Amino acid sequence: MTPGSRQRPSRSAARQQESWLRSQIGLIRLPLSLAVGAGTFAGMLMIAQAWFLAHVVNAVTIEGQNLAGVWRWLVPLLGIILARVLISGFVDSAAFAAAARVKQGLRSALYAHVSALGPAWMLDQRSGEVANTLVDGVEEIEKYYANYLPQSVLAALLPFAILVAAFPADWVSGLIFLVTAPLIPIFMIIIGKGAEALNQRQWRRLSRMSAHFFDVIEGLTTLKLFNASRREAEVVARISDEYRGSTMSVLRVAFLSSLVLEFFATVSIALAAVYIGFRLYYRELDFFSGFFVLLLAPEFYRPLRDMGAQYHARMAAIASAESILRLLQTPLPDRHANRMPLPPEQRLRIDFEGVSFSYDRDGQGVQDISFTLSQAECVALVGPSGAGKSTIGNLLLGFLAPQSGSIRINGVDLQDLDEAEWLRRVSWVPQKPTLFYGTVGDNIRLGAPEASEQAVHAAAAQAQADGFIARLVLDYETMLGDSGQGLSGGEIRRIALARAFLKDADVVILDEATGALDRPTATRVMDAVRQVASRSAVLFITHDLEAARMADRVITIERGRIVARANPREPGLRKDLHAGPATFEEVGL
Amino acid sequence: MKDILRLLRLFHPYRAWMAAGIALSVVVALSNVALLALSGWFIASMALSGLGNQMFNFFTPAAAIRGLAILRTIARYLERLVTHDATLRLLSALRVWFYGRLEPLAPAGLQSYRDGDLLSRIRADIDSLDNFYLRILAPVVSAAISTVALLAAMSFISMEVALINGLGLLLAGCALPLMAQRSGRRPGARLVTTRAALRASVTDSCRGAGELRVYGAVDRQGAHIDALGRALVADQRHLVRVRGSYSSLSMLAALISMWIAVIVIIPVIHAGVLAPAQLALVAFFVLSSFDVVASLPAAFQSLGETLAAARRIFEIADAEPVALDPDEQQPLPERFDIDMDALQMHYSPVAAWALDGISLHVPEGDALGIVGPSGSGKSSLLNVLLRFWDFQDGKAAIGGVPLRALTGEQVRSLCAVVAQQSHLFNATIRENLLLARPSASEEELREALRQAAVLDEVMAFPQGLDTYVGEVGARLSGGQARRITIARAFLKNAPILLLDEPTEGLDELSEQLVLNALKRLMRDKTTLVITHHPEVLTLVDRVVVLRAGRIVPSYVGAEELIAEGVCR
Repeated sequence: MTPGSRQRPSRSAARQQESWLRSQIGLIRLPLSLAVGAGTFAGMLMIAQAWFLAHVVNAVTIEGQNLAGVWRWLVPLLGIILARVLISGFVDSAAFAAAARVKQGLRSALYAHVSALGPAWMLDQRSGEVANTLVDGVEEIEKYYANYLPQSVLAALLPFAILVAAFPADWVSGLIFLVTAPLIPIFMIIIGKGAEALNQRQWRRLSRMSAHFFDVIEGLTTLKLFNASRREAEVVARISDEYRGSTMSVLRVAFLSSLVLEFFATVSIALAAVYIGFRLYYRELDFFSGFFVLLLAPEFYRPLRDMGAQYHARMAAIASAESILRLLQTPLPDRHANRMPLPPEQRLRIDFEGVSFSYDRDGQGVQDISFTLSQAECVALVGPSGAGKSTIGNLLLGFLAPQSGSIRINGVDLQDLDEAEWLRRVSWVPQKPTLFYGTVGDNIRLGAPEASEQAVHAAAAQAQADGFIARLVLDYETMLGDSGQGLSGGEIRRIALARAFLKDADVVILDEATGALDRPTATRVMDAVRQVASRSAVLFITHDLEAARMADRVITIERGRIVARANPREPGLRKDLHAGPATFEEVGL
Repeated sequence: MKDILRLLRLFHPYRAWMAAGIALSVVVALSNVALLALSGWFIASMALSGLGNQMFNFFTPAAAIRGLAILRTIARYLERLVTHDATLRLLSALRVWFYGRLEPLAPAGLQSYRDGDLLSRIRADIDSLDNFYLRILAPVVSAAISTVALLAAMSFISMEVALINGLGLLLAGCALPLMAQRSGRRPGARLVTTRAALRASVTDSCRGAGELRVYGAVDRQGAHIDALGRALVADQRHLVRVRGSYSSLSMLAALISMWIAVIVIIPVIHAGVLAPAQLALVAFFVLSSFDVVASLPAAFQSLGETLAAARRIFEIADAEPVALDPDEQQPLPERFDIDMDALQMHYSPVAAWALDGISLHVPEGDALGIVGPSGSGKSSLLNVLLRFWDFQDGKAAIGGVPLRALTGEQVRSLCAVVAQQSHLFNATIRENLLLARPSASEEELREALRQAAVLDEVMAFPQGLDTYVGEVGARLSGGQARRITIARAFLKNAPILLLDEPTEGLDELSEQLVLNALKRLMRDKTTLVITHHPEVLTLVDRVVVLRAGRIVPSYVGAEELIAEGVCR
């Protein structure tokens, strides 16, 4: 059961989500029919089992036969038991196969769609949420196909089959079944709706209470600092006690629904038994038929009761379908139909011509950016954080499209270029580099999977990463856990640098390449960048003025606009660039 | 087993509730079997007397059948109420107990668990302990009692059938679920690993979507995720098969028990030892007795998980507090200068000295900056001062009173702390502030916020001071949250101020606001500031550099500090 942290979908939305869930059935008709078919067959075998058992009991009780007289019933009974067990084991596997096919297809589709939506879209999302949809959201769907769907079909088929068998044997009991059976689902729906709302509210309250408790634990140090931690113990006790009080008053009502259910199922069996008994007594019925029907009675209500347990699976699947659908229905960005190849010139020349872009979420962005960057030069973009430097990087990568102005590559608008072909020429170290699940070597090879070991080592040395990699347990073969767990920010950055250097691209975009590096390492990294800039075009984004000094040109961005252009080798630059205390020495130590 | 006993001891005060819940579920189980068995016997007897073969008083059993149906329904309702009530009582007891154990340990005793996932670990563990009674204890005990009661009843009719039935129940309720659990353990563990790998890869590809594009690795990563998804499904299929085959075997055990019981009882009836109507009773009895053990497989499945959770929770709760309070309480100091002399401290006897001969003096009202690379002992210094950890050698005193002569609560009443990790509770801004001074008036709260330069922003929220902080309600920016913790320090108005990276993780604008607020806060207070931001050091009178638990003796120039990576 999921605590109700998710909002309960509105009824029409829920209906839409469920119809989408049902539309997937087309893909899994075969395994699903197999599951339902096997379940129905197992149900028939159950009826046959009751029939043979009733014969045995009838023969012994009424006809006074001994064991020898009933073997002809007992032997087929054993066969039926074995067959029933075999078949019912098959139902779950078949149903799971159906669910697995949906899950696998859905996950691929989601990944493809998310990839197509691109990094710019991803910036607006909480990546944890997207990942949750792809992993847990898809898993939640499983129960809908593996349990809920087959069960709901069986809940209609099996009681029907039992009715068909029971009516000819004893029409009075059949009538009792027939009258009470619809009452169960009707009551389940009537009460289920109210109880479900209560239940959801209760789960929300529980998760709130848990949240409070863990909030207190998380802030225990802070509580202690204010000498308030003992006070809080009473609050914990009081809140959980209040929770118990409110929960129990809800449960007293909520459990009434199951009381009604139990009542119908149990009392119907009792009624059937008493009626059968009296009709046997007055010889209106033969014992065989009466016993057969009584054996069927508990089985008649069982699938209907099992359905109740599937309600949560269905609700959870609908809630997940909502987030899955939201992802899948996000429209893909427009692409030009005909994309042009890159002009086959030797040197690349990049022109930003009055480029403006603003994020619709908070109006921040860049305005009227113009500059030129060619191969074999390094341009540094400096400025305070949030000034728009990384936005310029994202524009050059093509992740964002200028809203006015254009970015021209050898005269061709970047928007008209074939994206894959353009990115083949580009390397990039983002502000927060990502290390992927795999070895250190795999991570460096990301852009050049076929690169030789020597090339990888050389790139690592260039990025000042060889030293610490050599100290890892398995050096280049060390597996990196969750997003580089165990590595420091500086180490992650240097692996990302090695990755960028290994690709040997014509355009290299480095966003805070020296962040989290100590000064001597940063200096050596800068030397490597200079070396790269002797061949490639380097866009060097930084707020480290020291590092920017090695660039050929420095462009200062503030609040999305270019406020200064300078050649770092000219004296007096320091003051132009920055007003506040930039380095330690100015603090007066 | 030891852990189970300890859990039971913990739950001891609620034994009456727990026993009542179990008793009711026994009533439910037994009345169900009795209802069906009696019905079988009743119709057989009615048929026989209808044929004139025997005389039969049908009023009593007919009434009993109806009575049992009603008994079962009502008992089921009461059982659910009582077991849930008991569960909620236990949940409350567990939380209060755990909090009580944890409180003296924090934060020192928890340091070694601070792997970030401690909290989610505790959360999951407490959650699974919450269900110990409802999912494990109650079903297992009531199944055991019901089984014994049923077999005892059956042994009056036929010893052989009781034996067969018992064997079947043992197989279906105990042996097969345990075997299923055992053979499911390895694929289960593999499934957890695969799922974690899948989650990590998916998270990576979301976070690194841009890099995958630039490096042409989108399809490669897609194939990788696809392969992991297939592996996950394969593991799950394996588990479904294992569980499915064992539950089929349990079903087989039930049906075969019934089959054999019928074969055993027929000659006995034919010999006239038992009345013919008993056959119907036996068939129904054996078949329905297996409902009694139906919930056991699920109970066994969560048992291992719950025991592991209990073990981890007990391990945390059993730690010893590291800084003990003195037996006799001294009066609070009257001056607030800080003195340390040759102070030595380590976190465990085998660890290196975290502080290795620290001597320093901070005159009352002065501010001392502490810089040094991470791991140099800066935070340890604060841990010692706040009595979160004890030290092993040397001296430390506040206003001439030895630190060890004061209780932790006394020391902490003298100190206000602003740290990067300062916690804002998931409550209103007002409640977060009142923590520092429960008696503060509205005006005092506003004044503190004004001093911390956050009043206008707080008042701009629609709910003002009653705005919720954190997950629910409005979210504060990092800078706003930090300034609210500063306002809290204003309200506390303690003579000693400890600042631990107070501007870490803030953007430039917020940093400036926080610095201004700190400047006001530090007035007339003895202050220790840990930082590696040069801007913060403009606020202090003196700076010491820590390296490997020692104070760097001579004057250190800025270039050297930069070279050390101490400072950017």
